Amino acid sequence: MMDIVLQLLFTGIGIGAVYALVALGFVLIFRATNVVNFAQGEFSMVAAYLMVVFSVDLGWPYWLSFLLSLGGMALLGVIFNLGVYYPLRHRSFLPVIIATIGASILMANSVLAIYGPQPQVLQGWFDTPGIQLGPVYLDSQYLLIIAVTILLVIFNYWFFERTMLGKKLQATSQDKEMASLLGISVSTMIMITFIYSAVLGGLAGILVAPVLFVSIQMGSTIALKAFAATIIGGFGDVTGAIIGGLALGVIETFGAAYISVPYKDGFAFLVLIFFLVFRPQGIFGERVAEKA
Amino acid sequence: MALLEIRDLVVRYGEIEALRGVSLTVDQGQVVTLLGANGAGKSTTLRAISGLAKPAAGDILFDGKSIAGLGPETIVRLGISHVPEGRRIFPGLTVKENIMLGASNRRVATAELSREADAMFDLFPDIRKFSSSLGWTLSGGQLQMVAVARGLMAKPRLLLLDEPSLGLAPVIVQAVFKIISEIRRNTTVLLVEQNARMGLSVADHGYVLETGRIVLGGKPDELWGNEAIAAAYLGGHAKASA
Repeated sequence: MMDIVLQLLFTGIGIGAVYALVALGFVLIFRATNVVNFAQGEFSMVAAYLMVVFSVDLGWPYWLSFLLSLGGMALLGVIFNLGVYYPLRHRSFLPVIIATIGASILMANSVLAIYGPQPQVLQGWFDTPGIQLGPVYLDSQYLLIIAVTILLVIFNYWFFERTMLGKKLQATSQDKEMASLLGISVSTMIMITFIYSAVLGGLAGILVAPVLFVSIQMGSTIALKAFAATIIGGFGDVTGAIIGGLALGVIETFGAAYISVPYKDGFAFLVLIFFLVFRPQGIFGERVAEKA
Repeated sequence: MALLEIRDLVVRYGEIEALRGVSLTVDQGQVVTLLGANGAGKSTTLRAISGLAKPAAGDILFDGKSIAGLGPETIVRLGISHVPEGRRIFPGLTVKENIMLGASNRRVATAELSREADAMFDLFPDIRKFSSSLGWTLSGGQLQMVAVARGLMAKPRLLLLDEPSLGLAPVIVQAVFKIISEIRRNTTVLLVEQNARMGLSVADHGYVLETGRIVLGGKPDELWGNEAIAAAYLGGHAKASA
C-alpha cells in the first residue's frame, strides 16, 4: 500500500515539475506585461519538435540537440516579443492576449504542416530506464525532470533575489513607468523575460517529451494544466506557480490511480473549479490583491 | 546660466490641453518652486521634462540642448532625476534595493552601489532601520524619504520633486523640507508644491501655474507681496495646510 503511494507520489511530482516550469513561464510574463501568454504551451511543443529535428532526424548527439533546441527557444522568445508583444505594448491587455492566441495557433499549424499529425517519438536522456530504490521504481527521465526543476527553482531564486538584473526585472514588473524614470530599459527587461519564459517552456517540453509523445496537442495539454497550476498557486506568484504545478501533478496521478484513469485530466480541472469557487486568489493570494 | 529652460511648452492628453504655452527657467544651483492648484499642470510640466509626457509644441532645453521628445531612460542618463507624485516606491523590493535601483542611469558595480546606498542613509537617518523592509510596509513620510534618496542616487544635476509634502503630517513635512534645503547645496531642484508656504520657504524663485499657463513668476518675497495673487493662489493653500 505504502509502496504504491510512494511510487505515485514520485510520478506525480515528476509530471508536476513539468507543469511548474510552464507555470513559471506564465507568471514571469504576466508579471512583466500584465498579459497571460496563451502561447506558453506551444513553446514546449516547438522545443520538443526541435529536439526531434536535431536528435532524431539529423542524428546529432543528445546534449548538442538539447543546447541547440534551447538556443532555438531563446530565439523564438526574441521573435515572439518583437512580433507579438512589442507592436501592441501600448494597447490594452485584450489585443495582446488575442495576439498570443493567434501566435499559438500559428505555431501549432506550422509544425502540423511540416510534420503532419502523427506523433513523434523522442528517446530519454539516459539509456538506463530507471533504478529500483527499495519499493519504489525511479524512472530516469522523471528523476532528470525533478533534478532540473530543483536546479531551476534555485537559479530562479538566486537570479531574482540576488542580482541587480533580477531586481530590475522585478522593478519593471511592479511599476514600468517608474522603472523607466530610473533609467532601467523597460523594453530590454521585457525582452529578457520573454527569452527566459520561452526557454523555461522549451525545457519543460524537452524534458516531458520522452514521457509523452511529441505531438501538436502536447502544448495545449501542458499549458492548460500549467494555467490551472498558476490559478491554484495564486496568479502572479512564483512560489505559488511551482507549488501549484507540483500539487496538480500529484493530484491527477493519485486521481488516475485510485478513481479513474480516463478522467485523469478531469481531476486537474475539478481542482481548478474548486479554487475558482472557494479561493479564487489561490493559495498565495495576498500578493495578487496587492498587484491589482 | 540657465540649466533648464522651457519655451512655450504645450502638452495635450487627447483632446485636453494640459499645458498651454509654459515658459520657465531654472538656473544652476537654484531651487525653483512651481505652485498652483490641482489640475493646473504642475505634474504635467515635470512629466514633460522627464520624458513621460510628449510635448505637442514648444521646447525643453537642458544645458542648452533640446531634450523635448526624448524617452525617460535617455533623459535620466543626461542628469535629470524625477521623483514623481505618489512616491512610486516598488512595493515588493526592500528600501535598500529601491535606493540602489536609483543609480540605474549610471554604470556602477553592485558592491559600490551598496556602499553608496548605505551612505545615503546618513542624509536620511530615519529610514536606515527600514533598510531591509519591503516598500509596501512603510508609512507615507518614510516612503517620501526613500523616494528622494532613490532620486538622488542618480547623481542628478537637476532633481524634479513632485509634491513631496502631499499627505504628510506637518512635522514630517518640516523634515522633508529640511532635507530639500540640504540637497540644494549640491543639486539644482525644481519643486512642485500645493503647499505654497513650504514651497516658497526653500525657493530662490517661484512660478504660479493656472490652467496650463504661468500667470506669475518672481522671487518668493515678490510673490507674497502681490496681495491679490497671495489671496487667490497662495493664501488659501497656506491656510488649508496650516
